[in-house]
Amino acid sequence: MTAASLPPKSALRIRVNRLVLYTVLVVITGLFLGPFGWLVISGLKSPAELAASPVHWLPAHVQWHDFADAYRLIDFLGYARNSLVIALIYATLVTLSSAWVGFGFARLSAPGKKTLFGILLGSMMLPQMITLLPTYLIFARLGMVDTYWPWVLWGLASAPYLVFLFRQFFAGLPRELEEAAIVDGCGYAGIFWRIFLPQSWPVLAASFVIAFTWTWGDYIAPQLLLSTDRTTLAVALMTTYVNGAGVPVTNLKAAASVMYVVPILLIFLVAQRGFVAGMSTSGLK
Amino acid sequence: MTADQISSVTQRPESAAPADRIRAADRPRSSMTSRRHRAFYMFASPWIIGFLLLTVFPMAYALWLSFTTFDGISPNWRYVGLGNYRELFADSQTWDALGRTGLFALTSVPLSIIAGLGLAVLVNRPIRARGLFRTLLYLPAVVPPVGAALAFKQLFDQNSGAANGVLNIFGIDALGWLADPYARYVLLMAVLWGAGNIMIISLAGLQDIPRELHEAARIDGASAWRSFRSITVPLLSPVLLFQTVTGVIASVQTILPLLLSPDGTLNGATAIPQSNYQYMMHVLVEYFAFGRYGYASALLWVLFALILIATGLIFKFTSGVVFYNVDPEAQK
Repeated sequence: MTAASLPPKSALRIRVNRLVLYTVLVVITGLFLGPFGWLVISGLKSPAELAASPVHWLPAHVQWHDFADAYRLIDFLGYARNSLVIALIYATLVTLSSAWVGFGFARLSAPGKKTLFGILLGSMMLPQMITLLPTYLIFARLGMVDTYWPWVLWGLASAPYLVFLFRQFFAGLPRELEEAAIVDGCGYAGIFWRIFLPQSWPVLAASFVIAFTWTWGDYIAPQLLLSTDRTTLAVALMTTYVNGAGVPVTNLKAAASVMYVVPILLIFLVAQRGFVAGMSTSGLK
Repeated sequence: MTADQISSVTQRPESAAPADRIRAADRPRSSMTSRRHRAFYMFASPWIIGFLLLTVFPMAYALWLSFTTFDGISPNWRYVGLGNYRELFADSQTWDALGRTGLFALTSVPLSIIAGLGLAVLVNRPIRARGLFRTLLYLPAVVPPVGAALAFKQLFDQNSGAANGVLNIFGIDALGWLADPYARYVLLMAVLWGAGNIMIISLAGLQDIPRELHEAARIDGASAWRSFRSITVPLLSPVLLFQTVTGVIASVQTILPLLLSPDGTLNGATAIPQSNYQYMMHVLVEYFAFGRYGYASALLWVLFALILIATGLIFKFTSGVVFYNVDPEAQK
């Protein structure tokens, strides 16, 4: 009705604009889904089809067994378990330690706090690759190679980014919360544990998911620190899936990559809200 | 610090609680203050200790190594002073790798930001299935680097890749995408694939811009582009600056060139195509293929210094341009 009252040219323009907008969005979304879609398709082909030229767009016979084969060719479950254990260790410890440190920066004060907070923010920008390589040499000297101790230590040390996330959240809670508790004689650790931590479950969840996906996705640290048997799925994907002649078994590798990525996509879809909130907070909000 | 120690720290103030309860109300102010001070350091200690042991100490260790010929095996390493630094500055490989890294940062960071901001503006419009579009566009950003690299290797595979399939439709011969000179474009596309990250962050910023500003501009006859340039970009500038700085740091240390290379492992780092042989790849090769820990540590420290300088320059040159919106409500 409104469109009819407008001059015809403008109604047409609105319709064309809208059509262009949706077309652009659909094309871009298609391009963004393409690489992963192609990985799935490649994981459903036979080796002969993958070698065919020109490219077969879709498998003539869908090879569902590629996924089962990818799971059997290497100790997929074993590597997945290693990834899971390391990610759970790190995510649990780093979430708790970052909440603990974040509480200190949000609700307490002491001389030097401002400087320390500045260093904390600055350290978010430290290139992790630069510190990782010498840290690896130190861990190797301490005999911590091929153990999960590095992840325990990294977890206990808290992560500046997550500390910042918790600080922002705790700083927004009303002051009366801890004042009442102090009069009641509750120590700060008790205030943190009994009052603030239970309030912060959305941030706890976001932090846990972020830390979990970091560790699940990390390649270089497990590659440096863990031996072939104890390493993670990310490393196994890059280093295995070759046949007896050392030639990569591409279709199984593609299938395995899909199985490696899908859990992360699922976690993201389930935890989307908190995850996105956490991500946006990092954008200097 | 171990888990036990942390929990013992947690327990202590609680066990002291009964005594506190009696005196809490009429306790002198100064002891309350000092108790807060001690509590702050108790809470900050995991980070302080961790930062010293796992960041400062390794960096200092690397600095010390950079003055030696240490290789992890030979016991006859020597102290060579600035020898490693002299060698790396005289090596054309260092400069070539540095140039490629600089070029990569100068292209990938602005392109990612433009793509991310563009997507954010698109999905911020009142459209149907907006949430679905946002989710789907963001999804690639959560794919771990190894998954992204393997997907792109598959997509641009010479025989089985879709990219060459598309070229074939147009009668163009298959290209060796993953080798020189095309590998750099595949790398760039793999980075742009994660632009959803910047989209989400920019989107949060866009939604904070008061609607009245755009409406006022429209009433004054401003075009959509003008309104974007004069309202959206200035108000988003702190977010964009933050994205620039973190983007540069991320692009300098990315391991995607390694993951996209034919072998993809540290031992095969020497097989990285020339056009993707960036500074960090040079460090990895010196570190792991040649085991020259001393020399590679010098390379690392030079990179660290360059990043500090680059970050400083970005902040300096944008200080007049970035607009920090001070909310009068927040000042009360």
